[in-house]
Amino acid sequence: MNLRRLVIWVGRIVLAGIFIYAGYSKLTMGMHPRPAIGVALTFFQMTVDSYQILPPWGVEVVAKTLPFAEIALGVLLLVGFGLRIWATLITLLIVGFFAAVLRAYLLHMQINCGCFATPEPVTLKKVFEDGALAALAILMTVFAFMEARKPHPWTGASSADKVSA
Amino acid sequence: MNRRRLTTGALLLMLIAAGSILAGRAVAQSAGAGAAVKSATATKPAKSSAKAGSTSTPASFAPQTITVGPVADIDAHKAFGSKAAPVIMETFSDFQCPACKNLYLGTNRQVMDNYVTTGKVYLVHRDYPLPMHAHSKVAASYARAASYIGKVEPVEEALFQNQEKWEATGDVDGTVAAAVSAADMKKIRDLVKAATLEPLIARDVELAKAHNVTQTPTTIFYAHGQTYPYAGQINYEFLKQFLDQLLAQK
Repeated sequence: MNLRRLVIWVGRIVLAGIFIYAGYSKLTMGMHPRPAIGVALTFFQMTVDSYQILPPWGVEVVAKTLPFAEIALGVLLLVGFGLRIWATLITLLIVGFFAAVLRAYLLHMQINCGCFATPEPVTLKKVFEDGALAALAILMTVFAFMEARKPHPWTGASSADKVSA
Repeated sequence: MNRRRLTTGALLLMLIAAGSILAGRAVAQSAGAGAAVKSATATKPAKSSAKAGSTSTPASFAPQTITVGPVADIDAHKAFGSKAAPVIMETFSDFQCPACKNLYLGTNRQVMDNYVTTGKVYLVHRDYPLPMHAHSKVAASYARAASYIGKVEPVEEALFQNQEKWEATGDVDGTVAAAVSAADMKKIRDLVKAATLEPLIARDVELAKAHNVTQTPTTIFYAHGQTYPYAGQINYEFLKQFLDQLLAQK
């Protein structure tokens, strides 16, 4: 296995795991038994709003769709079918998260990150964590596009060939 | 070859970062569980709250705390609303923190008007003066003393409204004096000087640490046997939706 394919595999496993866990923890809030979905989503709304980036309708849309989108994207990334599409979407999301966290850090906003179930302040460590994940997502996506132009190591076929055929 | 080494190095760094996230999460989860257990075991039978709300002199009383639902060590003078309310909102706050000022002036006053006075929410104010704020402990002492003579609301409002002024000058005493009568100010100064109420502030700080509070304001909501910790400011409109969801639960 070449290094690019290793990066793609590691990226898929790590990012899919983090996305599925993040979505699940937003819906369950780390509680047993889990609270009602409506309670969890309205609680998450407060966190999304605290970043002071979106208007109220935008906060509602993001808070009520993001946890489900994270789980769905994580599963799709893990399955690997249409990898370049899901890798690109996940990369755009992670870069967005990184920008939001970096902005909150630079503005000294005393807010909760909202990344997972446990409350975490936005610290430099959190900025680095998000930055590293964004870099991994970008590498994975770029390599996924590059590798798609080459013959598959097992089957010998390439996605580019399929498209041109 | 060099490109390959660079990619390997970058990959290793990312793996370390991902590992640190997952490890940090596991530690935070276990610490949170520990705090919850500690909180539950600390709950003891409610002590008499007969003195709550009474006006006393420093020598005539010892500070008392009560337990309401899962929340122990509540200073009844710094708690508002019906003890039978289905939702308890416990706020850890610092008088010198700007986000706490926004939470108090922009959100909690509306919560008081719409949820606390109607018996839906029991609001507990905890003091968590951060060491980085030079005058917040003094402000907490004055506010606590004011609560024992029934003047908590005007004093807390004055401290938050004039936060920038006394933060710059350190004149907490003058800020409080402008909000109450001379007679009340004398009682407040006596209470602050006697330091009888300091253990209550120290207890709030201990509780904040037990709950892993890392920033102010932090609000912990208790409803239907579950705990919802939230750090940071809260927009009233979204808080209203959250409280309504909690209240609608059976």
